[in-house]
Amino acid sequence: MKIKKLGILSFAVILSLLIFLPNLSFAQKEVKIGVILPLSGPLAPIGKSLKDGAELAADIVNKKYPGIGIPIADWEGIPGLGGAKIKLVFSDSRGDPAWGAEQAKRLIEDEKVVGLLGAYNSAVTKTASVEAERAGIPFVNPDSTSPDLSKRGFKWFWRVTPHETWFTRDLFDFLDGLVAGKAPGIKAVPKSELEPLAVAAENTEWGAASLTEIEKFAKERGWKIAEAFKYPHKATDLTSEARKLTASKAPTYLFASYIADAVLFVKAMKEMKATPRLIWGQNAGFIQPDFWKTLGADVNGIASRDVFSSVLGKVKPEADRINKIYKERSGFDFDGSSARDFIGVQVWAHALDKAKSTDPKALQKALNELNISGKELIMPWKGVKFGSPFPGDTNQNELGSGIIIQYQGYPDGKPEIVFPFEMATSKLIYPFAGWK
Amino acid sequence: MKKKSGSCLLTAEVFFRKRDEMELVVQLIVYGVLMGLIFALIALGLSLIFGVMNIVNFAHGEFLMVGMYIAYLLSASLHLDPLFSLPIAGLAGYLLGVGSYRLLVHHILRGPMVAQLFGTFGLMLFLRYLAMYIFTPDVRSVKQGILVGKTLSMGWISVDASKVFSAGICILAFAAVYWMIYRTKLGRALRATSIDSEAAKYMGIDTKGMNAFAWGIGGATVALAGALLAHFYYVTPTVGMLFTLIAFATVALGGFGSIVGAFIAGIVIGLIMVVSGQLVSELKFSFIYIVYFLVVVFRPRGLFGW
Amino acid sequence: MQQFLTDIFSFEDRPRFERIGFLIFLLIVLIFPWIVTSAYGRAVMIKFLLFALFGLGWNLIGGYGGQVDLGQAKNVGFGAYATALMIVWWKVPFWITIIPGMVIAAMESFAIAYPMFRLKGHYFAIATLCVALVWKELFIFWDWTGGARGVEIPIRSGADFVYMQFNSPIYYHYFILFLFLLQFYFMNWFRKSKLGYEVQAVRDNEDAAASLGINVYRTKVINYTITGGLGALGGSFMAVYYLYIDPDAVMPLDLSILIAMTVMVGGAGSIWGPIIGAALLIPLDMYLGAWLGAQKRLGIDFMVYAVIMMVIAAKEPKGIWGIIERLRKKGEVGG
Repeated sequence: MKIKKLGILSFAVILSLLIFLPNLSFAQKEVKIGVILPLSGPLAPIGKSLKDGAELAADIVNKKYPGIGIPIADWEGIPGLGGAKIKLVFSDSRGDPAWGAEQAKRLIEDEKVVGLLGAYNSAVTKTASVEAERAGIPFVNPDSTSPDLSKRGFKWFWRVTPHETWFTRDLFDFLDGLVAGKAPGIKAVPKSELEPLAVAAENTEWGAASLTEIEKFAKERGWKIAEAFKYPHKATDLTSEARKLTASKAPTYLFASYIADAVLFVKAMKEMKATPRLIWGQNAGFIQPDFWKTLGADVNGIASRDVFSSVLGKVKPEADRINKIYKERSGFDFDGSSARDFIGVQVWAHALDKAKSTDPKALQKALNELNISGKELIMPWKGVKFGSPFPGDTNQNELGSGIIIQYQGYPDGKPEIVFPFEMATSKLIYPFAGWK
Repeated sequence: MKKKSGSCLLTAEVFFRKRDEMELVVQLIVYGVLMGLIFALIALGLSLIFGVMNIVNFAHGEFLMVGMYIAYLLSASLHLDPLFSLPIAGLAGYLLGVGSYRLLVHHILRGPMVAQLFGTFGLMLFLRYLAMYIFTPDVRSVKQGILVGKTLSMGWISVDASKVFSAGICILAFAAVYWMIYRTKLGRALRATSIDSEAAKYMGIDTKGMNAFAWGIGGATVALAGALLAHFYYVTPTVGMLFTLIAFATVALGGFGSIVGAFIAGIVIGLIMVVSGQLVSELKFSFIYIVYFLVVVFRPRGLFGW
Repeated sequence: MQQFLTDIFSFEDRPRFERIGFLIFLLIVLIFPWIVTSAYGRAVMIKFLLFALFGLGWNLIGGYGGQVDLGQAKNVGFGAYATALMIVWWKVPFWITIIPGMVIAAMESFAIAYPMFRLKGHYFAIATLCVALVWKELFIFWDWTGGARGVEIPIRSGADFVYMQFNSPIYYHYFILFLFLLQFYFMNWFRKSKLGYEVQAVRDNEDAAASLGINVYRTKVINYTITGGLGALGGSFMAVYYLYIDPDAVMPLDLSILIAMTVMVGGAGSIWGPIIGAALLIPLDMYLGAWLGAQKRLGIDFMVYAVIMMVIAAKEPKGIWGIIERLRKKGEVGG
């Protein structure tokens, strides 16, 4: 029986060795970029949009797409690298910062990616970018909005999207604009009709940051807040939270919610026959397809911060063409999520082309000196150039901007742009008409 | 003259504030009871299963999720009103419960409690990710139905019609289960098995069948609750865990194995949820857990438990 | 003194094949970073050692104590936050920060233990779950601990032994291995000590233990207190390994369940169980998740994981170690 024991023993040893053997990777002719996104868990629908957007951009870079009107559509691979194709290697962050960091390590050292893209959840971006910073590999962040991220002074981290401070400033510019009579199609609204404000934010990193920014700007710009609270976004029921909003008698409701809680809030407000004059959501849940698909006509009149809207096609024909292609593939209009990671891949393509090399230091230099004109982007931005737009920022895109959309005409309508006022595609619906 | 009008205004203000407060209290109670009854129905199955064979079903919330998806699928593909999907969901829940028992639970009963816990936990993960695979994580909801999206107004208070209906169904379901357990022969056999399964076996009761039946009823009631929830709540593969935790707290508060306990505890939990949502929303789950903790410490078997 | 050292290091009471097996395992782990150079492989090994560490601590209450604790994550959180906050606020060296972490966790466990041990079985398990969730919500709610935004530890360059920050995984590997061995030999001492026997006696039969003069209540409380302190140690490691912690990362329900699961799959109540359990589940999770997760349809990796768990629960509730013991006994009887 000693043989049997030895057999079990050696089997155990071999098993443990096998389990730890590394994953062999093959030499690639392509340029690999690691993309970390929440592909499972509650944020998975957003993760899917982000992934679809990124994949579309990579495809446009790699193949010729005549007639779109932006330079990368004419590329067949990266010109500066002899036509090397971009290969996106996706990895699921599960929305977990520790897991995201492990995936970053894996992508950097085992998959040997030349750089990283991601990761939507600000907490995941925090840890994943630490790995990139330690390894000296560039990390491009097109989709996380916590202001903290660009205040760390990292040398290997660049953020493309505007962050919460920006968007909150947009919100207050919008509110002040309403009072000044600049909103499209309506008369000036007296401040007393919009004040005080009521704010409900979900209590993870993102919601907490949003709430802080709103409170800061409200103080600066002189807007009173009647009620501001955080709630657990995994809640099963939000009726009493909605009641808090109605009880505050504030005519303006501001939300920072993910999809499930956004839907619950709207339903609860409808149930209570709430009568706010203005409802505004801070992106995320409020711009996901599931939001208007679930609520149908109940979304009409609700405004949200966004970075992109399919109606942009009216002012930017390139956006329209891209939207058509995207809609064919995924069944949905291009939205803020897919658009952001689309631009993320675009930034990478331009950086690789400019650096003419996959060497990290060359890429770092290229990214630091990058200057993409707004004409080449599908976003209504002035461009992509990294600098310090707000105090304490480093490597933050200075030329980005947000928009505010308002749902109009659903279930068959579109998210019309109501801010910036110069870019408005429709009259603003004000005051909020209520639910049937 | 001035003084009089001044005090008039004051009384008016006080009156309106008091009326506001009263309104608030009534609204909270109504919402709390409505939600609470649904929590009670969800907890009923869990309590039953534990009463009969001392096992906690971690996958309970996933059975709920199955009920929700059934209501959603029937509505989306066949345009079947979610009301009619109730019996179908109930039946599916029953089959799922019995199936889970015969394929898995029966085999883990002989092990230590630790193994039972993680056996049902594996079931939970399996069902959740199976749903994720089949349906993707997209959030869905039922859009049409006689009761979907309609509100009932009773004076100055208005509530979602489907919540009122659900509460009614919950009460009926409780009555039905209670009647079955205490007034039928089948129920007596079930009770006998839960008191002493060895003795029950000697008396000729098919204990394996009784266990399967308990799981079936447990699955049926919670899937029914799921189909009710689908009227006004979102449907996604991960919705189970939230309700599992609330169900645990409810059952423990009411006492494992007690039907009446589940009913009362559900309402209490619903009220706590709504009140703490009003006060400190971020900690509302904490309040429920703290209350559970205090109750079980000073009355370890919960309010009515074994 | 010599007796004390023997108690810690000796495995004479275990069959020889176990001793040899462990030595081989130790050897493999010692040379591992030099034979496996993939970053992911090294990260998997570090995570494995971390969970073996968690598992050893949990084994005290869950295995030897026989009480299922589903709230160990709170102790991990205490350790992680103690370390992270002390480093960020007061620049306290790492090795000093682990003491307050362990002490706070132990004290909280001690305070909670008195009411909690009035409960048994499922009631106890759910109570531990609730306590951990309440703490997590509190940490999210409190602003002074960073709330949901968590705590970020500043990056330092090079190899820093004061704050235990390194840019090469090799250092972390030996770091966690050292902590693991500390707990491992502590467990070895524990299982042979008077307290260890008392705990197991209480687990097997409370009444019999009481009749032997063991103070059942006190034993359970001390056991739970020590478990709390041990959990914090792993948390402190997590803080300096990931350099960012928040309540969802260091105190979630999933972590408590994963810790309990690795021990139960491996074999609760045996000193090898946590190691075997972690050796199976952690690489499985990390590799299945990486290979299948993003490339194929979502969910398959977790489904496989779940099926394995159910099969083990049904076939061998004593975990993998139970299977090994069973095979060994068969072997012995066969002659």
